[in-house]
Amino acid sequence: MKKYLAIFKINLLNSLAYPAEIATRSGMILVFMFVFFQLWYVTYTASGLQVLNGLTLRDTMWYLLLAETLELGRPRLARVISQQVKDGSIAYLLDKPYDFMLYQLGIGLGESLPRMGILFIIGGILVWALAGAPPDLQNWPLAFLAFSGAWLLHFCVNGLIGLAAFVAEEVAPFEWIYQKLVFILGGLLIPLDFYPAWLQTLSKFLPFAYMMYGPARLFVRQDIQLFIQIIIGQLFWLALLGGLLALTFARGMRRLAINGG
Amino acid sequence: MVRELKFLAALWKINIASAMEYRIAFLSQSIGMILNDGVYFLVWIIFFDRFNNIRGWQLTDMFLVFGVSAGAFGLAGMLFGNTFNLGDIIINGRLDYYLSLPRPTLLHVLASRTVPSGFGDFLYGFISYFASGQFSFGGLGRFVLALLLATIVFVSFLVIIQSLAFWLGTGGTLTGIAINAMITFALYPITLFNNAAKLILFLIIPAAFMGAVPAGFVRGFSWYLLGQMTLASFSFLALAVFLFHLGLRRYESGSAIQVEV
Repeated sequence: MKKYLAIFKINLLNSLAYPAEIATRSGMILVFMFVFFQLWYVTYTASGLQVLNGLTLRDTMWYLLLAETLELGRPRLARVISQQVKDGSIAYLLDKPYDFMLYQLGIGLGESLPRMGILFIIGGILVWALAGAPPDLQNWPLAFLAFSGAWLLHFCVNGLIGLAAFVAEEVAPFEWIYQKLVFILGGLLIPLDFYPAWLQTLSKFLPFAYMMYGPARLFVRQDIQLFIQIIIGQLFWLALLGGLLALTFARGMRRLAINGG
Repeated sequence: MVRELKFLAALWKINIASAMEYRIAFLSQSIGMILNDGVYFLVWIIFFDRFNNIRGWQLTDMFLVFGVSAGAFGLAGMLFGNTFNLGDIIINGRLDYYLSLPRPTLLHVLASRTVPSGFGDFLYGFISYFASGQFSFGGLGRFVLALLLATIVFVSFLVIIQSLAFWLGTGGTLTGIAINAMITFALYPITLFNNAAKLILFLIIPAAFMGAVPAGFVRGFSWYLLGQMTLASFSFLALAVFLFHLGLRRYESGSAIQVEV
């Protein structure tokens, strides 16, 4: 485990070496949060209600901030792995004394943590100014646990998409569609609470709500029952997708053909 | 002029032949992008199912906005694919190749690449227009005209932003933010924004000319809107050409050996 921790630390330090670069890249969250605020401010004002589907405007904005932090901050693992498979550079990683997927986990976490931190801080300042103070501190620990589970779920799905390069010529379309399914069924742009009942029910049977809605909703409202539901869902999908990832990687290794060096 | 058009036609022919060389990747990216856009649009279907309208904007308007924006984005990628990485080309000294040839540099560099997924976006633009329920032959004519003018604004805006690379020496991050800002603002109802924000969307980040204004023109013919779009597209185009050539005077490279394929 020590070697993966070392890989994580190296990548963390590497990312922190260029904070200005991360901050500039993170500036995009300001545009998103500004537009979201306009949309939801108009929507709440037009409804004449303070609370819509159990959420205030402030709740909705902080929900969206956490969801966007996860979406913009998670590593683009699918692109990295598919490129390594396509150009054969995966060969240089496979003969090293570490597990390939855990190595990617260390790198991804090291790159992702500072990016998510800066996204949250920059976006949080704007949301605080526009919509009000952040949610109660007592909500944060449970949200953090669910956030970590969601990050791991994204890692598994991205890993699977990247490994699809063993059989597919182009994996980018899988990544686009997966991202949009998270947008819709994960509640990235609209909290699932605003969805029709049948779509809310459907989303509970799919992994996307556990990858986005769960942590974002727990961040704005402490709800032990929801927390248990989210964690059980995340563990189930982690076991399923993690197992599938290990299986796909093992099968991919059998198909791997490296010519020259 | 005729000579340059023939040159452009020859470049596009080669680009398409080159994209079709990897037929499966081309088709998967095009079809994948249509699905990606379609799934993304579900957000608005869900939103308007719950809230009906936003300051007068309804789902039909969103179909038109998406149609024009996706179509213009796709057309820019199809015909002027290097619009998306002009900044990197400038910074990496890859303009050398284009400067050594007796053709207009900006036109040559922009049209030397096709983004395969652009075909998907372009087709989705028409699908969205047909799905809007606003179809008429006159409307289709207006849609095509609006699409062309929106493409000019979009390409010109990206050239302006990326020409800053001649002075700033950085490219990718700024381009990413510019593209995201343009698309994000273009895809949301303009009625959300106050006058100050609208001024920005008309003059600084001209997203209004990629979304709301052309969508309004498609809905019904208006000399006023046509005049606005024409003025905007030619003003931004003139500014883009001027800035690029102004920056070109500062261009320097290490005379590295580059291979353009």
